[in-house]
Order: sequence, then C-alpha cells, then structure tokens
Amino acid sequence: MNSGPALVSILRQGDTLVASVHTALDDSEMIRFQNDLVRQIGEVRARGIIIDVAALDVIDSFGSRTLRSIADIARLRGATTVIVGIQPEVAFAMVRLGMDMGQVPTALDLEEGLAYLARLRAVGAS
Amino acid sequence: MRVLAAEDRIEPGMIEPYAIATVRNVMATMWRRDDREVRNRHRVFDPTQPDDVENVLVASEEQLAINEALRRLTDRERQVLLAHEVSGAATQMLADEAGSTAGAVAAQLKRTRARLRVEYLLALDHIEPPTDRCRPVLLALSSADRRRQREVDAARHLLECDVCARLSEPLLDRGPVRDDVLHVTIGADPDIVSARRAARDLAAQAGFTGTDLTMLATAVSEVARNIVRFADNGDVTIELLERPRRGIRVVARDMGPGIADVEAALQDGYSTYSGLGLGLPGARRLMDEFNLVSEAGHGTTVSMTKWFDPKGSA
Amino acid sequence: MNTDETAMDTEPGSSLSGNHLLPQLVAHLREHRAKLRDEWASRIRDAHLLEAMTPQEMVAETTSVYDNYVEVLETGSVEALQHYARDLSERIIPRGVETHEVVGIVLLLRDVLARSLFEKYQRDFGLLNQILDAYEPAANRIANTVAVSFVDERERVIRQQQDAIRELSTPVLPVRERLLILPIIGVLDSERAKQLTEQLLSGIRTHRAKVVVIDITGAPDVDETVANHLVQTVDASRLMGASVIITGLSPTIAQTLVTIGVDLSKMNTIGDLQGGLEEAERLLGYSVTRKEVSEGS
Repeated sequence: MNSGPALVSILRQGDTLVASVHTALDDSEMIRFQNDLVRQIGEVRARGIIIDVAALDVIDSFGSRTLRSIADIARLRGATTVIVGIQPEVAFAMVRLGMDMGQVPTALDLEEGLAYLARLRAVGAS
Repeated sequence: MRVLAAEDRIEPGMIEPYAIATVRNVMATMWRRDDREVRNRHRVFDPTQPDDVENVLVASEEQLAINEALRRLTDRERQVLLAHEVSGAATQMLADEAGSTAGAVAAQLKRTRARLRVEYLLALDHIEPPTDRCRPVLLALSSADRRRQREVDAARHLLECDVCARLSEPLLDRGPVRDDVLHVTIGADPDIVSARRAARDLAAQAGFTGTDLTMLATAVSEVARNIVRFADNGDVTIELLERPRRGIRVVARDMGPGIADVEAALQDGYSTYSGLGLGLPGARRLMDEFNLVSEAGHGTTVSMTKWFDPKGSA
Repeated sequence: MNTDETAMDTEPGSSLSGNHLLPQLVAHLREHRAKLRDEWASRIRDAHLLEAMTPQEMVAETTSVYDNYVEVLETGSVEALQHYARDLSERIIPRGVETHEVVGIVLLLRDVLARSLFEKYQRDFGLLNQILDAYEPAANRIANTVAVSFVDERERVIRQQQDAIRELSTPVLPVRERLLILPIIGVLDSERAKQLTEQLLSGIRTHRAKVVVIDITGAPDVDETVANHLVQTVDASRLMGASVIITGLSPTIAQTLVTIGVDLSKMNTIGDLQGGLEEAERLLGYSVTRKEVSEGS
C-alpha cells in the first residue's frame, strides 16, 4: 500500500469481508483495490463480501465494471458479493450512463448488506 | 505615469532607457511577480541610485529582451505605447492627435502591450516560433481575448506546439484570474479524478445541484478516461456559460489517433455497456448537448453541455 | 416630495422635462382630471376590460393610474409608476386579469388623453404637433413600463404556483416501515419526472425503504422520454437496494414502454394499487427467498 491515509479498508468478520472505499479512487487505485480484495477472498476463504461505496461520488463505467468483475471473480470462488451504499444521485447517473450491477445484489447500507448475507445463509442452511 | 513627474530632470536622450524600465515595470506588475516588481519600483522611484551588482546582472538579460521586443513593434505602436506609458499622455490626447477615438487608442494600446509581452518572451528565450500559427495564438492568449483564442483554436495549438505550451504559461498567469473557466491537463489516471472534481466544483458554484452534478461529473470522467486510454494526453476545459442560458460546457481535446468510426463509437444498446468501450454514448446521455469531432491521426474533440434547470433533460 | 416646477428645472437631462410644453400639457390634464378619468373608465367598460373589478375598485384604480400617469409626464421618472404597476398586478393577477386587459386600459388612457389634447389645440395645428411630439414618447414609455411590470409580476406568480403544484403532486408517502408509495397524478413532463426521481431516490435513503410502489393510475399519458425516465428510476432504485412495483399501468403506457425496448417481464407490474400493496407486503416478508430463487436460476 502507498503512504498517506488508506483509500480502502478491508475488514474480516467471520467468513465475511467488509471492504469500505473511503474516497474517490482513480483507475489504477481501483485495480489495486480489486487485486487486494481478490487476494484476501482466497486467503480467508470468504463466503460473503460487502463492498461499501457510500463515499464514492461518481461510479462511472470503469468503476461499475470493476465492481462487477470483483463480484464475478468472488462468485467463481464461492462467495457472494453485495454492493452497498450507492448514493441516490450516483445510482441515477449510473443508470443514465447505461451501467447496472447485473446479477450482483445491492443493498442500502452496510447493515442491510449484512442482513442480506445472513438471510442468504439461513436459506442455504434450511 | 510614474515617469512623468521626473521627466524634466532627465536628459532628452535618456528617455528611452528610462522608458524601458517603466515598460518592464508594467509587465512585471501584470505578471504579478512581486519580488521583481518591488525591485523595479525601487529603480523607477529613484533612478539616480546605482543598482547593486547582482541586480544589474539579473536585469541586463531582461533589459536586452525588452529592447528587442520594443524594436519588433512597428514605429507607430512603439510611439503610442511610449507616449502613453512614459510621457503619461492620456488616451484622449493621443486620439485627438491621431484623429481617432479614445476607445480605439485604448484598444490599440491593449494590443500593443499584448504583442510586447509575446515578443519579450520570445526574445528572452532567443527563439523564433516554429510555425506561423504560433504568434497569433500567443497574441490571443496574451491579450486574454477568448473569442480570438477560439478562432485560432489556441487550446489545440498548445497541445501540438511545445514552444507555445511553455511560453503560454506566464501569459496565462497574467490578467484577472477567471473563476468561470477551469483547465485540467490529462495525462494519467489521477487526472480523470481531478477533471471530474473540477467540473463538479465549478458546476456547484454555478448553482447546479444533486443529480445534475453527479451526471456532469460522471460524463467528464468518461471523456477524460478516453483521453488517457486512447490518446495518452490532452486536456479538459470546463467553462461556465451564461448565454443563451446558464450551463456548463466541457471540452475534451486530445491529439491521439482519432476515432475511425464515430457513428459506431456513439452507438450502444439501451442499458448494456457494449459499444466500443469508449463510454461516449453514456456521456452523451448524461449531458444535454454532445458533439464529437474526430480526425484520423489528428485527435478528437468532444464538446458537451449541461444546461441549468434544463427542460428536456430526461 | 415636491414634484412641481423645481423638479422640472433640476432634471435638464430628462427627455420629458426638457420640453417646455410639458408643463402646459400636465396642467391641462390636472385641470380636467375628473372628466378625463370618467371618460377613460367608461371606455374601459365599453371594451369589457377589467370586468373582474367592482365599480368602486374601478374608480379607485383608474384614479391612481391616472395620477401616476400624469406624474410620469411631469417628472419623467417612471419609478413610482413601476411600483404602483407591480403592486396593482399583484392584486389583480389572482383574480384572473390578463395581459391584454392591462395593455388595453393603458392604451385607452393614452387615447383618451390624446383626444383631449387634440380637442384643446386643434385650432393651432403647429402647437398641436409640438404638444403631441412631447406627449407621445412619454405615453409610449408609460405603456411599456406598465406592460412589462405586469408581465414580470405574472411570470413570478406563475413560477411560484408551479413550484407549489410540483411539491404537492409528487409526494413520497411512507405507508409503513420500509415501504414507500409514490402516486403520480397529472401530466408527467420531463422536468417533473426528474424531480420525482430525485425525491423518490432520496426518500428511499431517508426511510430506508425496501419496497416502493409507484402508482401511475393518475397519469393520463407519458411520452417516450418520460417512459425512459420511469424505467431509469426503477433501475436506480434497485441499485439502492429497493424493489419497485408499478401499479395502474394503462395499456397505452405499457405500449410506450414496449416501443422504447423495455422488457416488461423484468418490471414488477401489478394491475391496481391494492394488489401492489399486497405484493409489497409479500416482498417485505419473503424478499430473500424470492431473490435467491431468481438468482439461482
């Protein structure tokens, strides 16, 4: 990681990874984030990943595609990714831009994201 | 004007070097180089005081450049400039002499000062501009004439011409700082973020809010990324418009390979990111107006506008 | 304020006061004030203008306009008239007075006064010409001032009303926890559609909504642009983690959606609001199971 305040933090909670983006990321930083996260998914054998993007004031085509790539890679490794915290204006601009999250589930915030993963696990166990 | 009071104390043949010091002072003030301005002011206020050695050495190079720049003006230009700056002749008086109007003389003086600055910079570097487009572009920048800058496509020329890019720096620094235009040079990933931040800030200042701000920033992000990906470098200009109504215009220019099939680049499905991966169709949907000019081998210019309180934004 | 000859003398720059005939003219109009005002009022009645006003109001307003009018002729300053015209506009606009009526009454006054001048000076054609030369530019300026003041005021009122209507007509209603209803009533233009989207999306965040029911029973018709906007709103809501149910979709609007390439099978549409609310309850109770089924397939 480079010097200065962390751009992204990745915390582990049981078999769930919570990645919070703290500030706007440029493309290289986004790629680095993707690599870091994917590496950790393997290391901790995560079942669920929450990416909190509430701090992003823009999610453009590159940002959307990177988030989807992360979710795709995670799925191949058996983990479900939930994107949380997309702001109202950002959501609309994304749609207008022509981007969506495909099959990747989204939730309002971290709390909702965790609840989603918990319910998913409950359904899977029953 | 400052010289006027001292005029009777100076020998007739001495007026020219004295004038040079004043012209330099005028230019220094315009460029807001405070340290040099202080030094020159000292010189002008008390011409009998000998300069210390260091100052003389630093100054002699500039002195030569100013002499050279003055020499390159036409006789008429030089005459009027010196009469005004040195002898303190009012524009009205000069106008009466020339059978012209005060406004016309003022405009002429403005042009002459702009030329003097350009010639001074060229003389200081001992260079001749490499192309015949350089002088008009530099002149337009020096006079801060935006209409003329657009006519000669100054922004594009600065991308093409290294000499002018360098010389334009002190020229762009001068004059009142405009708060309704922002330039962002695009060369690497972080510049994409800077460009969309600049756009957002300027638009917020202009009263844009909420979704409009985000749509604008997202569109800027897309066009800036195209520059980084396909042209290596270029620039993005963000400008506040007041006419025909309030809005924000974004112009993204590059000198890259250009887009071969513009039609295809602007097409995609309704909600999938297909297309050529240029992000252009999306940017177009985010803005109210969108125009793309591309020439193979000569780069691409995207101009797009978002209107404040637009009627047909959906 | 003293607005007689002193004001005339101290304003040599004014185009009106510069004319030495104006004092004479003003004196004439003052002298015959009652007669000319009544004549004007009767012409207004004949032309069926300002019928929203009672006779008493008519007398009061015509007197005020008349006096302001003469004052402008005298001083050359339209400021007082401007204020009065705005004030008058503010009072009469809510009563439905139209622009043509306001312009009409000012032109009538102009005409009444011109005729009276003609009558007085008709024997001296040269003097009459001079008087009219002095009178006409001033009268035109007055007509212009009043008309512009009225139109400005009218636009302001219209803007205010539009804002008020917009806010009233796009309420985001939190029916119960996690559930929002957005009833769309009236014509949806793109400006309103945009506002509606912003309200809905920020409503989702504020109320932490999981399900939104957009009821468009009350929207008569939407064009392609607005239909597109509606679909984008649904997609954006999903990105924020809320499911959208659309109720009251008329066959015409459904057709429009299909025309612009919307896959209706991907939109959760229910016939009426009642059904939509039931579906919403179901989603709130069983949302995970449903999502899991659709994703696993």
